[in-house]
Parts: sequence; C-alpha cells; structure tokens
Amino acid sequence: MIYQLSHTTSYNYQSGVTFCHNIATLKPKHMLGQTLVEYNLEISPKPTEISDKLDFFGNTVTRFSIQKYHKKLKVTAHSKIIRDSSLVPDIYDNFDGQRITLNQAVIALKQINPELLDIKQFVLESILIAKITPEIKAYAEVSFKPNRSIFEAAYELMQRIYNEFEFNTKVTNVATPIHDVIKEKKGVCQDFAQIAIACVRSVGLPARYVSGYIETLPPPGKVKLIGTDASHAWFSVYIPNFGWVDFDPTNNQIPKNQHIVVSYGRDYYDVPPLKGVIYSTGKNKMKVAVDIRPAL
Amino acid sequence: MPIGSNTLFQNYFSDFKNYDEVLKSNMSINPNWEKLLSNLTQMGTDNLLAKQNEINWLMDENGVTYNVYNDPKGMQRSWNLNIVPFLIHQKEWETVKKGITQRAELLDLILKDIYGKRELIKNGIIPQEVIFAHRGFLRQCDQIQYKTAKNLLIHSADLARGPDGRMWVVNDRTQAPSGMGYALENRYSLSRVLPNVFQDINVKQPSKFFYEFNQMLIEAAPQNKNNPNIVILTPGPLNETYFEHAYMASFLGYPLVTGNDLVVRNGKLWMKTLKELKQVDVVLRRVDDVFMDPLELREDSYLGVAGLLDVIREQKVAIINPIGSGVLENSGLIPFMNAICNYFLKEDLILPQIASWWCGQEKECDYVLNHLNDLVVKRIDRSNRENIFFCEFLDAKAIETLKKEILATPYKFVAQEKISFSTAPDFIEGALEPRKVMCRTFAIARNDTYSVMPGGLVRVAAERENLFVSNQRGGVSKDFWIVTDDPQTNIQNYSWDSTCRISISDINDLPSNTAENLYWSGRYLGRALVTARYLRMVLNRMNQGQYNNRKSESKSLVFLYQSITNITSTFPGFVGEGSEDILRNPLKEIISLMMDEKRSGSFAQTMSSFNNSYYSLRSLWSKDMWRVFDGIKKLWRKFKEDDDYSIAELIKLLDRIITRLIAFMGLIEESILVNQGLLLYFIGLQTEQATMTVAKCRSLIVFNYEENLQYDILESLLTSHESLNIYRYSYRSHLSLDNVINLILLDKEYGKSLSYQIKRIQKDINRLPHSETTLNFSTCQKYIAEANNKIESLSITSLLQVNDDGTLRENLDEALASLSKLLHKTSLAISDTYFNHSYQQKQLVNQNFPLA
Repeated sequence: MIYQLSHTTSYNYQSGVTFCHNIATLKPKHMLGQTLVEYNLEISPKPTEISDKLDFFGNTVTRFSIQKYHKKLKVTAHSKIIRDSSLVPDIYDNFDGQRITLNQAVIALKQINPELLDIKQFVLESILIAKITPEIKAYAEVSFKPNRSIFEAAYELMQRIYNEFEFNTKVTNVATPIHDVIKEKKGVCQDFAQIAIACVRSVGLPARYVSGYIETLPPPGKVKLIGTDASHAWFSVYIPNFGWVDFDPTNNQIPKNQHIVVSYGRDYYDVPPLKGVIYSTGKNKMKVAVDIRPAL
Repeated sequence: MPIGSNTLFQNYFSDFKNYDEVLKSNMSINPNWEKLLSNLTQMGTDNLLAKQNEINWLMDENGVTYNVYNDPKGMQRSWNLNIVPFLIHQKEWETVKKGITQRAELLDLILKDIYGKRELIKNGIIPQEVIFAHRGFLRQCDQIQYKTAKNLLIHSADLARGPDGRMWVVNDRTQAPSGMGYALENRYSLSRVLPNVFQDINVKQPSKFFYEFNQMLIEAAPQNKNNPNIVILTPGPLNETYFEHAYMASFLGYPLVTGNDLVVRNGKLWMKTLKELKQVDVVLRRVDDVFMDPLELREDSYLGVAGLLDVIREQKVAIINPIGSGVLENSGLIPFMNAICNYFLKEDLILPQIASWWCGQEKECDYVLNHLNDLVVKRIDRSNRENIFFCEFLDAKAIETLKKEILATPYKFVAQEKISFSTAPDFIEGALEPRKVMCRTFAIARNDTYSVMPGGLVRVAAERENLFVSNQRGGVSKDFWIVTDDPQTNIQNYSWDSTCRISISDINDLPSNTAENLYWSGRYLGRALVTARYLRMVLNRMNQGQYNNRKSESKSLVFLYQSITNITSTFPGFVGEGSEDILRNPLKEIISLMMDEKRSGSFAQTMSSFNNSYYSLRSLWSKDMWRVFDGIKKLWRKFKEDDDYSIAELIKLLDRIITRLIAFMGLIEESILVNQGLLLYFIGLQTEQATMTVAKCRSLIVFNYEENLQYDILESLLTSHESLNIYRYSYRSHLSLDNVINLILLDKEYGKSLSYQIKRIQKDINRLPHSETTLNFSTCQKYIAEANNKIESLSITSLLQVNDDGTLRENLDEALASLSKLLHKTSLAISDTYFNHSYQQKQLVNQNFPLA
C-alpha cells in the first residue's frame, strides 16, 4: 500500500503568544515494512529556529521555536509512505515464537546481552505506567499463566480489552491515570494501549507504546471525508527468540498494512505528537485533523 | 586532663554506648582534641554560655537562615551553630581526602558512562535496573557531550565515623549540593566570636578552595572564556537554603537569578536585563534536575528555562552540575561501587560504605526479606527521611506493607545494615553532651583531578540519642576543623558584606526581576511610611480629642477617619455602608487597618508585601539593613504578643516603626549604587509618595470647610506630611489653604512637595536605559513629562476657586485627579517596558501528569 498522509494540529490563542518552544514527534518511521518516501513538516508562522534529532528511543523529534507574536499556530506533517507488512517476519510463521511460555520468556530475559538491554527497559515502570496495582496484575493473570504461550496470552488480552472496555472519547484525556481506566473500563486507544502495557509488564514482560495512524475506510458507498482519520496508538510485546509483536486492542487485530508507525516509547509521555511551552495569558483552542488515503 | 573533675564533662557519660570522637573507651582523651578542650575549659562555662548566645545572636543578626517548609514557627529559622567545633587531624584527613577524590573521580566516570556508552551495564558491572529504574536517569540527557574534562564538577558526600573508627560514606550529593556557604559563614562567625578557641591550634583555611571554585566556574564556560557571564540560579526565596544562594551570589559576585530571569532564544541562554538580553555562559544551579527545563523535563516547573536542554546539547552554556547528575544520588549503586572502582581504576574503594543489599537480585532480596527487622530499607532514588524505613521500629502491619512493596518492584529497593555512628561533644546548656555528627564534604573539579575543601559542614543530631541528622528538621551545625601541626596563615575575614561588592556593573545589566523587586521595595516602603505617619497623626488627634470637647475637633476627626479609608483604599471602612457603626468605635477599624495582614491596603499587608520583595533581593542588602529590618519584625511580634491595643501603645509602636523605617531607607541609599538598581528603588519610592500626597490632598482639601474645621484639617495634613515646622519656618503665619497648597503641591525647592517629587521621578526615569531604536520618548517618559507639565501649569488662584454652591474646589480636584491618573499610567508603563513578566509560561497541552 502507498499512503499519502497529512496530520494537522492547529492552535488558536485567545490573546496571542509572544514566544514559544515546541517539540514535535510526527515523522513516521522508516523501517522494514514501512518506507518513508516523502516527509515534510509545515509550520506557520515560520519558526525562528528548527532542528531534528533522534531521541532516546530512536524517534525523530523536531524542536522549533517561534519568536514573534502570533495568534495561531499550525503544524502539518505531510508524508508519503509505502507499507508492506509481508516483509516483516510473521509470528504465525514462527512456531517457536508462538509457543514460548511465560516461564520460558522470563528466564530468557535474564541473560545479559547488549541487544536485550534496550528491550528490558520496557519491563520497568514508566512515567504514566507506574505503581501497577494488584488489580491490574489480576486482570493480566487471567490471560498470562506460567505455562501458557505468551503470544496466545497477549492476543487474548487484546481481545478482552476490546470486548470489555468501551471506546468513549468523552471520559478520558491524556492525563487520565491507568488506575481510573481499569476501574471505569472506558477510554480511547491510548488508554487501552497503556492498560495492556501495564498488564504485560505486571507479569515481567517488556511492552512498549506505539504511536501512529490507522487508515479508516468510509462506509460502503460513501466518499471518504478529509481529516476524519485519527492519530492512533497500540501496544507491542517482546517475544523472546522472535521479536516485537504489535497488538491493536482498539480494533482487535494485529496491525498490518493499515497501521503506520510514527514512534515507540514506554508510554504516551515519551512520544506526544506535539508539545510545547508558550508565553501567553489567555486560553487556547486546539484542532487536530489527520488524513490518510491511498496515494494515486 | 582528668575528665572526671572537668565540669564541662559532668553530663557526658551515659548508658548510651557509642564510639565517641573525644573519649576513648579507656576514658582517656583523644590527643587531637586536647588543645581544643583545654581552650574551652579555660574560657569557663559562663563565658562559653555567653559566647554561644553571642553566636546565636550573630547568626540571627546576619540573617543566616534555613527555611523549613511548613514550619509553624515561620518560614525563616535561624541557623544554629554550636560553639564547639568538630575536628579531624590532618594525618587522618589526608586519607579521607584521597577517598573523597577517588569517589568523585569514580562518580564522574559513572556519569559519563551512564549517559554515554553504558559499558558498566553492558559488561554486567551494574544491573540495568539500578540506572534505568532510577527516576534521576533522564533519557533526555542521553549522549550529551560536555567541553569540561570532568562532567561532575561538584561532588558532595556525607561522611560519618563507623564502628571501626574509619570515616564512612553515607550519601552522595551530586545535583546541586548545599552547605558550602553555611560552612563558610560558620567559620567566619566562630572566628569572630571565639578567637580564643583557636588559640595554639593550626586550622586549615578554605580560602584556596573558594578561589579554585571560582576558577572552576570561569573555566566551565564553553565559549567567551575571557569574560564569561556567570549566574547563580535559585528556586527563589521560599527554598530552604535561599540564604546560601544569596550568600554565594554575594560572595562570588555573580547575579542571583530565578528561572523567570532567563530565556532561551536563537539557541542560546539569555538573562533578561533592564536594557536587553545578555548571553549567559555558565549557570551554577541550585535547582534540581527535573525542574530545569519545562519543555523537556517536568512540565509543571516554573523554576527552570524552557528549551534549556537543547542549548546544553549544542554546547552553548554550561550547567553546574550537569542536568541528569541526580542519577548518582543512588543508593542502588552502593553494593556495586567497589566493583565499579576496580573496573575503572583497578583499585579498591578507599572510604568504606554501609553494607547494602540491592533487592533486584534474587539472593539479596531473599536475605533482605528474611532479615528485615535488622535492616534499614531505602528506595534507590529517594534519600529523604520519609522514604527511609528503620525496620526495627515498624509494627507488623507496616513490615507486611513494606514487604509487599519490595516484592512488587524489588529493583527499586536497597537495604542497609544498621550502623551506629560516632558522637562528638556539643555544648548544651552549660555542659558538653555527646551527639551524633555527620560531615558534609565538598570536592570540585580542578584540571584532571578534584580539589577538596579542607573541612566542610558538620551537622549534629537534634536530640541526644537521635538516629537522624538532618537540617530539614532544624538541626544544629558545627564548624569543621582540619587541624595540623604546621602553622597556618591567619583566618581571612570572609565577611559577607555586599557594600564592597558590585555584582552588577551597570544598570543596563540589572536582571529585570531584580529591577522589579527594587521598584516595588521602593513603593511598599513609601506606602508603609506614609500610612504609618498618617495613622499616627490620627491617633494623636484621637488622644487629644479625649480631653477636648470642641465641636470642630470631633467633626474634624470624622473627616480624618474618612480620609484614612480614602487614602488606604480600604472601602467601605469609614465611608461606605455600615460606616455609622464603625464611626462609633473608630479605634477598632484603625487597629484592623494597622494589624490585619489579610486586609488589602492595611499597614500590616504593605509591610508583608515589602517583606517579600525585600527577601527576594537578599544578595543586595547589607547586614545593617537586615538588623534594622529584623528589629521592625521583632517590635511587631512583641506588640502582638503583649496584646495591648490602646491608643497610647499604638502611637508608641508607630513611633518606633517610623524611626526604623527611616533608618532603613537611609541604609538603602548608602548600601546600593544607583547603577546597581537604586534608581529603580527611587522611582518606586517617589512614585508612591507622590501618589499618596495626591490622595491625601484629594481627601482633605478639595472640600470647602468652615474656618475652624479648615484649620484643624490643614494642621493634620501638615503633621502627617511632617511639614508643620517647615510651614512655620517658611510662612511664619497662621495656617492658610493657599500657603499649604503652595508648600505641599507647588513648591519647586521643597523635597516633600508634589512638584519636586514629580520632577525627581522624571529625572530618574530619564536615566533608565532606553532602547536606541526608539527616537521618541518612551511611554513612561511621555506620561511623567505630561504630569510635570500639568503641575507646572497650575495656578494657585485657579486651584483655590470654589464652585457655585460653595462646597468644592473643582479645579483642585480635577488637577489632582489627572495627576493621580498620570502617575498610575507612568507606573504601568515602567512595568510594561522594563519588567516584562506579563506573559506567563504555559504548556501548549496541559498534561498535568502525576510525576511525583
């Protein structure tokens, strides 16, 4: 699949901003199965300074500052992406990977080798996924059992979240703690991903947060409207002797060609698409529009 | 010296078995202490008591404070220094010094490795979790390169003597260690009050260390090496060690700034000054890691500078210590330190540490869980007392909870052996008592090694058999001597004396936050003085009124009461709704206007606002000023305690406060240079006084009264204005309205006339830095010029004109109203042009994460 993608975030500032510093994590990854053909970041007003660097997790972050008075900020990431998930090793082709049990995985993770080091940090608590409660662990242990395949367990966990949690954009925001989400069983993709990560970590396995997009299809017979897609998030579990396997609990599926990966982190905190510090006195209004469509 | 017969030691023995610094187990005295003890004995108990009082007094007078958050006794506690120093002989110190140097070198190598290649983890020397699960490991700081040879530029360690008689390392402080300034002030105070105690003892002096400290700051500059701009970043006056931040700023001669004074633009760090932005090369910070950059670190921080981390990455500024060094304040490293030492330096640790078990390892964790009652448990990344569990004192339920916590995230916990550290003599109520001590040492990077301060800061446990040593709980400190057999040069006088130090060379470079505080100090002081004098005048009139039943007298009193409400803007008060009741008991309202800190416009509130801006300017004020100011605060406290609010007592209090306020204002003028910011203070002071003069005149002389009443009112106005004598001298006549207006408003020579004050404000505003690009007058210049033209154009005949019904002098009222407006506009324009804090820092997305 070839996609044309645009992601626009605009802010309207009630009383204007004299000065701002921002960080954008918007550049889709260029990796096996996902080729970034074109990318540009359009910012208005034009930033005084702008620079790209890789962060700790290997994501591209763009820092920019605007030093003149402005009442509106508009950031648009345009990209063209070729997605071919057939290039990525498939867990269904890997018998050992599918079978490895929780007990075996935990032992395998005890080795000290440089490759595992980067992976093992995803077992530890992170800023938004901290103080994992017995409640979360109990939820995880319904699926994760010492002698059961962790792939099976993770798949089931994804299904349970999909079935037992209500997708609801009204009840949570980026700051809602996982402990509230597990009680209310309501939220959005980001909450579901973080709940799943907390569960996986509670049994001692590495899990990471994936930030990206998903292509949504219009109802049959309808024309797709521009800007109706959304930024998306899901989770990824490390299966020893195989590698990372992604799961999308919001859509109950293993991501394939409809998912586009932007960044990996321990949780949302590591990879917010756009954040910043502004100098202003009034309130502001934010609007986000994402559009993904097959390129012509 | 026989111990038994020495009265100083009568209380020294107890059942509390411990290693003591002075008394050996066979009851003989450690020879290193002999001279000191004999000096103390010779001075005699009474003398020592007097000296301890004098030290307490000196600390108090010099305003040496340590703020304790949530302290019911008030924010600023006096720093406690015990007159008995702690000492170590040079011979032993040499080993300790080597050990400290080795440890600093080692921590520097660890710091570079953690944020660099991470070989220690890759090679299995330290477990990954000890670093990656430590909240001080800031991924944002990964792979940052620094130009300095050492990355860890200041290292501070807490040492205590273990049961084996050696000095042990208890804690490392690597972010923004405090104590250096207190150590310096301790030495200075002790040598000033007790020169005798040093007699025949050679004590090493820290002068060279502080010289090197300054060199280290200068050499850290990544650019502008010849003339780097160095600042000291403080979280602000509420911080527990703010005294020390101001002290160091003053001592080293660098501006003390808060996050708000700094800004990141064009990839560099700048200080906002009155004139322009000035590039900063080096920041000596007293703000913790995570608060340093709200863009990349804690979003809710107002103590740092947004965008700072990227300036550091680009090597355009040096932060001392580097952001991220908090990961070294890590008890999880302790069990691995010897292995790390062997890995990097091929040698063992010189200074022993407390036996520790990291629970992230299964065997160790089992051991800890099975021996919990004998251990002290800590989180690897929290060393404050609330997060240290002394398990022997926990009940069964607390132990269970702790066990569960350890099992949930074992890698976050470390358990340590219980250790009883040594005691040293402390002078308490006329005798010596053994107290636990903890020594804080300081090392700074010099070329390829570290330079260690001879001595440091010694803190003493608050109670006799206390396990804890901490200042946060209001402990006591000691001077820390390294004694040698060689003669030492004389103690230098490290007097903290800001009068001889010009930390800011030019008014153009004055940080705008400091400028703003100076301006408001002037305004609050002006308001306090005018309000106090006015209230005193009214109280005096009330006093006379008690013996005098003239009708005009009581009528004029009512006008005076009402004028108080007008001048202080404390409506409704004597004029609004319910004023009849208040007028029946005017004293109650006056007491509230004096004493009620919560009431906007009250004298108490003005004083407390002044207190805030005064405290923020700590590094500029002299000791004399502190003393006078403290005197006012003590008067106030005592008055409240005595609880006698009679008219006579209120007048007496105001008399005393007014005298001190005037002394204080005199001291300001001689302590700070005009270019250092006094100009801003003057503009504030004059603006406030001019505004108050206008308010007084508007409420007293625009109405037309009958003759007797008029006379009373004019006399009151002149009295409150301290102008009665001058009036008599100038006019030698009965009080008349036209003469009073001429003197108070229009006189060009008289320093207290409005005309003179406005002229003075105009002159001072013209001296402020003005941007070269604006050819025209700045806004504040425009408004003050307008005010000056207005007052020059006034004619006494027109001002005296009464309107048709004979009640009001409309022209006078109109003139005063427009002057009041122009003064207000001038003040706003000054704020807009020079203080530029009107825009608040905010997050683009309010994330409000639970980061604690």
